[in-house]
Amino acid sequence: MALIELREVSKLFGFGEATTLALDEADLTVEKGEFLAIMGPSGCGKTTLMNIIGLLDRPTHGIYLIDGKDASRLRPNRQAKLRRDRIGFVFQFYNLLPRLNVLNNVALPLAYRGMTPVRRLKRASDMLELVGLRDREYFFPKQLSGGQIQRAAIARALINNPSIIIADEPTGNLDSHDSKVLMELLADIHRQGNTILMVTHNPELTRYASRVIYMRDGTIVEDESTSIGAVAKGALRTYLRKRKTTEEDVLAGVSALLKDVPGKAMAKGPKKRLPKKIFKKRSRRRARRKVRH
Amino acid sequence: MWSGNLKTALASLRSAKWRSLLTMLGIIIGVSSVVTVVSLGEGLKQQVVGQIHTLGSDVLTVRPGKLVSDGSARQSLNLLAFLSTSTLSEQDVLTVSKLPQVSTAVPINFVTNSAAGGEQQLDNVSVLGTDAQLNDLLRPKMDSGAFFTPENANDDVAVIGSTIAAHLYNGSNPLGHPISILGRDFIIHGVLAPSAGGLVTIQQSDLNSTVFLPFGPAKNLVDNRTNISQILIKAKPGVNPDTAVAEIRKVLLQNRGGSEDFSVLKQQQLLELTGKVVNKATGFVTGLAAVALLVGGIGVMDIMLVSVSERTREIGIRKAIGATNRQILSQFLTEGLVVTIGGGFIGILVSLMIFGFLRLYTGLEPVINVSVMILAVSVSIAVGIVFSVVPALKAARKHPIDALRG
Repeated sequence: MALIELREVSKLFGFGEATTLALDEADLTVEKGEFLAIMGPSGCGKTTLMNIIGLLDRPTHGIYLIDGKDASRLRPNRQAKLRRDRIGFVFQFYNLLPRLNVLNNVALPLAYRGMTPVRRLKRASDMLELVGLRDREYFFPKQLSGGQIQRAAIARALINNPSIIIADEPTGNLDSHDSKVLMELLADIHRQGNTILMVTHNPELTRYASRVIYMRDGTIVEDESTSIGAVAKGALRTYLRKRKTTEEDVLAGVSALLKDVPGKAMAKGPKKRLPKKIFKKRSRRRARRKVRH
Repeated sequence: MWSGNLKTALASLRSAKWRSLLTMLGIIIGVSSVVTVVSLGEGLKQQVVGQIHTLGSDVLTVRPGKLVSDGSARQSLNLLAFLSTSTLSEQDVLTVSKLPQVSTAVPINFVTNSAAGGEQQLDNVSVLGTDAQLNDLLRPKMDSGAFFTPENANDDVAVIGSTIAAHLYNGSNPLGHPISILGRDFIIHGVLAPSAGGLVTIQQSDLNSTVFLPFGPAKNLVDNRTNISQILIKAKPGVNPDTAVAEIRKVLLQNRGGSEDFSVLKQQQLLELTGKVVNKATGFVTGLAAVALLVGGIGVMDIMLVSVSERTREIGIRKAIGATNRQILSQFLTEGLVVTIGGGFIGILVSLMIFGFLRLYTGLEPVINVSVMILAVSVSIAVGIVFSVVPALKAARKHPIDALRG
């Protein structure tokens, strides 16, 4: 049985004319022990997908199964307990509580499980040892570097021994050195048999993944198994994609996407029609079609 | 979990000290006013009990004004009676003392509230003109000297309370020294030993700050006018107090042609009446305090709502790592409760401080009432729960993903 299974999961935001389709009938199956990297341009639905898998958000349509059981229609408190016991989050903006020290931040999920303070602090301390932050236990988040905070966030994500670890651009705010340290840590965790889902923009990071999916406009357009250690082929394509804009275009503020759109858009002037809007319009049309069904 | 909630609550209150303090202020004012007023009332009641204790329970009192208006099905207290001029006269005292049921009748004539002696001027004393028989009624313990006797009836002598003695003649024995009342010198004949009792007169007084003068000279001081604030009557042994009350009432009615502007009270009735006055006043101020608590509670709710929206992201993070709605709810409820219970305790401390000032600067003797304090604390807990529930629910029901974005 697959650990995670999404069947035709869609997510709509907004009402009426302003409806946008963030996820469009996405199907995805993740087995235990996979390191899944999710790539795609901004606004393609990666984060929405992660939020649904992480039970932070509910799909508008479709079914989401964890270990074969429907998790998307559970009551909020059941979902909270499932999040607590089975899912660990690592966010791009760290999201540690600024008023608690690192040790208490890491121990917090255990507090919500009702563990006694002595036991949970002991366990949090062990977990911080694992991520190399034992000597920073009593520091507050603002006293640490970005890389250290993110490692503390990983310790927090791991403390409940979750079956799914969701990392949404975990290296998004880190320099290359901290990124490397962090990714090695995640790779370690993966080697111990954990399942990791990671959103990233950086093709380099697909080296650590065992599988890469590419998304566009709310759908999964490509699904590729890769060998750990090599950059995924699909990622490489985006990496090496030929630039369509010239230096002059860049100076004039014209993006590659605009050059793709028929001349009509150009005629109206680049400033009035931004690429994002074009995407929105397309997805709106799709949403309408969906509603009609 | 609770200790964690408490820690979080304290940390969040510490992070906005002024805001928390101002929020507490409403609760502090409400609680301290309730505790103060109820304790003052209790003190008043105990003074009356003290008088009963001093006089003995078989003593009857005649007071000016009709304190209890009857006629309606339920007896009620007539507060206007306290404002009326006393029509009790020497004649009344004489008539009553001649009754076969009565052994002694002693007038208490309130003369003034200031006295001077040595270099000192005192103006929170009760100067009372009375008869030597008061000695039989009160049987006061004397520190030095003696109570004046019927032979002193026309002498300018005085018996003073221990507090006055201490103030006027600090340390030295005041016997034989003068005390000046309204410009006339009275020779101090006796000093009362310190006592807890008191005579409930127009002004609440205790024996320690009372000056007793013989009735005649006291009357002379104010152009032979009298202001008899009460007549103390001791019935003969074996006489049913109700019969005595009825007889006294009858002769007093005869003296004033049937108009009843006085009250004949047994000690128990006096206690009940004082209880009624106190309860009325307490009820009124408690109502005001309830408004203060309500306003304070709304303040708590306001601040909690601000706190919830300020900490939306924190709520999101907590939910993401597995906090259930109930856990978020209890976190914010705890915070509200810390504010109100803290306010309640500070309110009690404030009222204790007020008691200190009252004892120092006025003659009032508040009695610290534990049950009132327990009530005040439980009311502040109730206010905390009632006014934190809405913000806490708002926090608990936040959608995790919206909260994380917030």
